[in-house]
Amino acid sequence: MDVDRFQYLIVMALCVLITLPLEFVLDARVYRRPRRLLRTLLPTFVAFVAWDVAAIRLGHWTFSERYTTGWKLGNIPVEELTFFVVIPLCALLSYEAVRNVLRLGWLGTLRAGSLGRLLPPEPGRRVGSERERELV
Amino acid sequence: MRWYSTLTVLAMVAVVAAELLWIRSGVFRRRAYWLALGICALFQIPVDGWLTKLSSVIVIYNPEVFSGIRIFWDSPIEDWGFGFALMTLAIALWVRQAPGEGERPEPAVAAAADEPAGPRP
Repeated sequence: MDVDRFQYLIVMALCVLITLPLEFVLDARVYRRPRRLLRTLLPTFVAFVAWDVAAIRLGHWTFSERYTTGWKLGNIPVEELTFFVVIPLCALLSYEAVRNVLRLGWLGTLRAGSLGRLLPPEPGRRVGSERERELV
Repeated sequence: MRWYSTLTVLAMVAVVAAELLWIRSGVFRRRAYWLALGICALFQIPVDGWLTKLSSVIVIYNPEVFSGIRIFWDSPIEDWGFGFALMTLAIALWVRQAPGEGERPEPAVAAAADEPAGPRP
């Protein structure tokens, strides 16, 4: 199989993979708000795909046949369609992660995230359950 | 005609206008927005670079439609304006839908700042 054809898609997949920890470790909660996410991505996607379709038609940019799959919807490569979902997603994850760190600090953000249970509890915080008391 | 340059500037203006007049999420007053945008702009260097490097180019720009200014790995400088418009629109729409948010600075900032609470437009 010719891997080169998938280069553009692989770049997009890497963007998703690299930003995925923001959702869980830094508790971004973007994927976990699917309705809000859809209502954010849809208008953005429509506006920018419209520009992309026009730009491709007018010859402003073209795509390497060697590094793309050749799968298209009309005149637009599927790679471009993924781009207009993936890049806004990365931006939202970054925004929420940064916001958490500014609000809660690094330690507070990590505590709120999925690795939080691995960290010692906040000093001065009242210990809740019996089980938690044992762990302290 | 430098169509990509022209449309990039137009898109940036349109997104800023849309945020100020219609979406009104208040992102431009948020530190988290500017920091996130800065971080994304840094990550755009390798991602965009991989797509536009002339040694094995994936996205091929018509040299007649942009400024000709290529930065980092041959990425047209317009790409950063494009990224600004794309990411700003997404973040603004996202923040607008936050429960109890929009047109307000971040809670921590609001608590510290002693600006008078003006009426919401």
